Order: sequence, then structure tokens, then C-alpha cells
Amino acid sequence: MQLRFLVRAAIALCATTMIALLVLSVYRPVDAAAVLSAGKADLKSAGALTFGPDGVLFVGDSIGGAIVALDTNDKTPVKTAAINVQGLDQKIAGLVGVMPDQILINDVAVNPISKNVYVSAARGRGPDAMPLVVKVEPSGKVTPLSLDNIPHASVALVDAPNNDPAARQNPRTTTITDMEFINGNLLVTGMSNEEWNSALRSIPYPFNSAAKGTQLQIWHASHGRFETQAPVRTFVPYKLGGESYVLAAYTCTPLVKIPMSALKPGAQVKGVTIADLGSGNQPLDMVPYTKDGHEFILIANTTYGVVKLHADTLATDKPIDSPTVVDVAGAPYDKISSLTNVRHLAQVDDGHALVVSATPGNTNLQTIALP
Amino acid sequence: MRPQLHILAIVLVLGTIARAQAVSIQLDSGAFRVTGWQAPATPPAAGWVSVFSLYAGTADAPAMLGNYSVDGGTLVFRPRYPLAAGVKYRAVFRQPGRTPIERSFDGPTRAAAPATRVERVYPSADVLASNTLRLYVYFSAPVSRGEVAARLHILDGTGKELKDVLLPGQELWDPNNQRLTMTFDPGRIKRGLESNSKMGPPIAEGQRYTLVIDRGWPDAQGVPLASDYHKEFRGGPPVRVPPTPKQWKVTPPRAGTSAPLVVEFGRSMNYPLLQRMLQVAGPGGRVDGTIAVEGNETSWRFTPRMPWTAGAYQLMVDTDLEDASGNRIDQPFDIDVFEKVTEHLTTRTINVPFNIR
Repeated sequence: MQLRFLVRAAIALCATTMIALLVLSVYRPVDAAAVLSAGKADLKSAGALTFGPDGVLFVGDSIGGAIVALDTNDKTPVKTAAINVQGLDQKIAGLVGVMPDQILINDVAVNPISKNVYVSAARGRGPDAMPLVVKVEPSGKVTPLSLDNIPHASVALVDAPNNDPAARQNPRTTTITDMEFINGNLLVTGMSNEEWNSALRSIPYPFNSAAKGTQLQIWHASHGRFETQAPVRTFVPYKLGGESYVLAAYTCTPLVKIPMSALKPGAQVKGVTIADLGSGNQPLDMVPYTKDGHEFILIANTTYGVVKLHADTLATDKPIDSPTVVDVAGAPYDKISSLTNVRHLAQVDDGHALVVSATPGNTNLQTIALP
Repeated sequence: MRPQLHILAIVLVLGTIARAQAVSIQLDSGAFRVTGWQAPATPPAAGWVSVFSLYAGTADAPAMLGNYSVDGGTLVFRPRYPLAAGVKYRAVFRQPGRTPIERSFDGPTRAAAPATRVERVYPSADVLASNTLRLYVYFSAPVSRGEVAARLHILDGTGKELKDVLLPGQELWDPNNQRLTMTFDPGRIKRGLESNSKMGPPIAEGQRYTLVIDRGWPDAQGVPLASDYHKEFRGGPPVRVPPTPKQWKVTPPRAGTSAPLVVEFGRSMNYPLLQRMLQVAGPGGRVDGTIAVEGNETSWRFTPRMPWTAGAYQLMVDTDLEDASGNRIDQPFDIDVFEKVTEHLTTRTINVPFNIR
């Protein structure tokens, strides 16, 4: 009896353990950084930045035609943090031993866990410029990441063939204009230096060398006609009426909303124009937020400064479908005249954004309360 | 005894001074060394940077990043990044209670004489369609990025600079920094958009313009260009109809010769795309050869490596090929019918047959 009891108990224990192990293996969250292997991250340039989970930073390498995921190993949670760094380019220049005019700052991202700021830059302006990814802490401490030995993975962007074998390098590049990590996929927009035709690319993460990512053809309604695949300059994921959208700013046209559900491999997607941000102007960065029960999108522009778009009725606003309704349709917006020379915006938390402003030879980082 | 002590003290003091004076900072193969000072095996509590640091430029910059090592008693600093041309580096050696020792070093020397120039610009014609989409500038050697706003100007017929002609803040480069791609503001090109209705096209038909690239543009070595570059052009009518291979004039050469195959488009095409979006296939498969673009990008000449053999050939046209106004094969830049798009997307190449006899 005792032996039978012991056997039954052992079987029950084994079964329980196996079930527990199974459950744990199914539900244990996968650490996005754990799949990265240490070594030299062979970046040719450091451009667009965005964070994935677990402190993984995606760096767009337009010259190398690749995207590199870096483990920042920066995962200590901080609820919020304010940063105010004046003369960032001068500080970086000093650390890497060049004059400030040889530092080109390309993009900025805030680590959503630690709230530390990461800046991509180039050391030098020529073809031998070295890529930099720099961590900026709230204390003002500036530290370039050592790219020689860092856990990383990369995925190559499919590029056009070079038909001239005598040419030293393929002259074609795709400048990665923006990236966002959404539902396990990295969405990437780019602009070729040769053809106008551009695609939005969706790359699953962890990167799989066999899967180069899916290209989607994005179209949007433009004044009763359909537009060709213009390059997207900047975009942001956004919820409208419970449905997920991408809000995209095209190089030739105003703000467009595209339902996320439509972004399927090989799909031809029709977007809707929702705002016109002015002639001779290019949106640079967008930060969506909620304040006092209302929804807004803060948008930095090349020419028109920073504007705050009223987004409460974005789901139902009359789309801009004719040039004659530009001034009466689409979402309304206010100009934020207190913010000048803004080059980049990034979300810090629900109530704050990071602003990168620059005048020649002087780049500043500052956390602001969302207006 | 006292005189002997004095002598000893003097000797010691002189010895110390001599030793202090002997401390010097040397730059050797990219590494900075503190000679004449016996470095302890382990760094002080505040790190070697508290003893010996390097600064770029004269401004109040943080100490440069690098690795410290003690090599046979000599403290060595190796900068993490190579020294750059045109930068003055300041090395400072500090010891408690003593005046810091400083020495300045120049980065590698630059080429003295300006030699880089603008070689060519596309579209190369003197008359540009008012909806011209892209501007390509070829330099003779690599140049610096980030200079367009200050160095590239488009002037109207009176010499006044026009600010809103090109897409703002968007320089696109080849990997070697020798070819710049700029885009005329597509919001002004595309009909019906606010920019187009308020400002008109970037180039107005009948108006005169000058593209100016000023010689202050630093090349990759930081040396200015050899000369200014000017290209005068006039605005022509827009080109709205897409290029259609069926309408191209294809002139086949004779079999047994290495004469070029000539394709005439009847309009200016996008120069870089002509280098890779047209191919020739014959009875033996793809034909190897060299490409020449002529007649202000209206003509494409293909010279085979081996003489032509008689037979049926195809000119294979990638449907992403654009004319100078961004119109793709059978698809205009700014008008599109969705149903036709589906058709277009499934057709990646169009073959134009021709025979060689």
C-alpha cells in the first residue's frame, strides 16, 4: 500500500512538474535582448532609431543597407526623467576627438524603460564618417556605446542589383526615414536616392536571415485620385475608435491614416488624407498623447515649426479629398510658437516629450511637458 | 656635516627638477605617451584620466575617450577614435601640487590645394520640364554631407535665391559621397495639393534659373571646391504622359559588328536609372556590354562586349524606370487609377523585341 502510494505520489509530482514546466515555457516572456550575440556591430552609418522590448535599440544603417538591433543593457525602470543638455554636439565632439561641426546628429529615441536618451550621429561628414550611438543620461552624462563588442543582430535590406561590375560600390542607397516596433514587427520606411517608388517594409523580430521582411505598397487617396508610392517621411502607430492605424506623413503630401489591419504582405493599401500641414513644409516627427481627456499629436515640421494637432475627431473628420476643402476639412491644429528650431521629437512618458533643437554648432536636448 | 647636507639637498632638488623637466608628452603612431615619469602599475582612485587627458580643440570639451595602459613604466593613451585632420589636440599631464604639463598636437595634415569640383549635373538639358522631380550632382571626389542648405542655391532670372524649390532637409547620397540626389518639392509638382495650388510648380515654364554650387563646399578632406559651379536653365512645359516603350525608337546594329544598339526615348530620362533598368537579352541569354547615355538623357547606347550575332533580341525594361519628371513606365507621377495599378504591379518588366540581321 505504502509503495503504491509512493508511486502514485511520484507520478502525480512528475505530472504536476511537467505541466508546470510546460506552462512556464509557454508563458515565460521571451527576452528580446537574449537572442542577440556579442561581437562587433558592423554599422556603416547610424540613422533612424527606435526601441523594441527589453532595452533593444534598432538602428537604421542607410549606407550599410541594414537594420541593427543592439542590446543597450539599460533596463532599470524609471517612471519619468527630465533631461536638459546644452551643446550636445560639442560634448560628443570632445569625447570622440573632432570639432563640433564634424558631428551630424541624425535621430533620437528615449528608452521606454530607463528613460535614458539615445542619439545616433556621424563623426565626420565624408564617406569615412564613423557611426555613433550615444547614451545621454538625465545627469547630463554622455557615453558613446562601444560598438566593437555589443550583443547585436542585423538584417539586410534588399537592395537593387548593381549592373556595373566595374563600379566600386552600388551607388543606390535607401535612406531609412523612420522605424517603429509594432506587435513583434519592425515597420520601416525609406527613400531611395534613385527611384521615386518606395515601400513600407515589415520585418519580424527576432530577425531571421531567411526572411528579409515583407514589402507593402501604400497608396492614399489624394483629391479624388490615387497617388503613386511616394516615400513616407515619418509615421507613428495610433488608435482610432478602437482600431489600430498608422499615421504617416508623406514627402509630397499631408498626413494620412492607414488601418493597421490592411498592412498585409503584398497588400495594396489605400490611406485617407486627414490633415494638410502647409505648403513647402515637411513633417519631421510626431508624438501622440492625451491631455485633459483630449487627444493630440505634437508634430515637428521643417518649415512651420511645432504644431499641436487636435485628434479627438480624427476617426470621423471629413477627409481632405479636394484641394478646395484644404482650409475647411481635416483635423485642426495650433502652432506652438514657444518651440523653435526643433529637429526631432520623442515621447518620454504620457505627459512629456523630448525636444531636440539645433542652431548651427549648438544642439540641445530638453524634456518638455506636452502642451 | 652641514655643508654636506646642503650639497645633498641641492643635488636632490636639482635631480627632482631635472626629472620634472624631463617629463614630456610624445605622440607616436596614434598613441600619446608620458615619458620621463615612472607610472605606477595601477591607476589612481580617480582613474588615469585624472593624471593624463586629451582634449580636442580649444573649447571647454570633455576629455577624449580612449584606453590607458602602462607600457614598461610609461603611461600610454590610445584614443578610441583616430585623430582627425584640422583638429588641434591638447594633452595635459597632471600631478598633485605641480603645474600641469601641456602639449599641443595637430591632427593629420590636409591636402593643401582645392581640387574637387562639380563634374556634371542631371538633368543635363538647358530646358527642364516644370515638373522635373530629381536633381543629381556628381562631384569629382567625395565631399562633406550636410552642406546643401548653405552651398546649393537656385536663383531666379533676377539673381534672387528661391528657397522653396527643393524638398527641405533631404540630402540623399551615394555611399561614397560623390553623388548628391535632391528632390524638387513634390508637393508643388503634384497637381491639386495645397503647395501646388498656392505656390505653383517649383520650376515655372518660360522662366530662367541658375543652379549655383558655391566653392565653399568642403570636400571630404575639409578642403573647399576648386571653383563655383553654375548651370543656367529655363523652365519648359510639364511632362505628364508616362514613357511608353512601344513608342521608343530602337535601332538595331548589324550582325557581326560591335556597333551600339541605340534606343531613343523622345524625352529626358532619369540618368542613374538608365544605368541599371534596361537590359538586353538575345539568343544566348543576357548580353554583356557597356552603357552610354547621350542627348540630354534622351538616348541610350548599348555596346556589346562581343560582336552581335543574328537572331531575335529583347530590350528588357524595368517598369520602375522613370523619366526626368518621375513618370514611370506606363504610369504617370501624379495620376493613377487603382485598377490599372494592380495590372502594373504584376508586371515588373516589359520586353521590347527587335531583330539583329
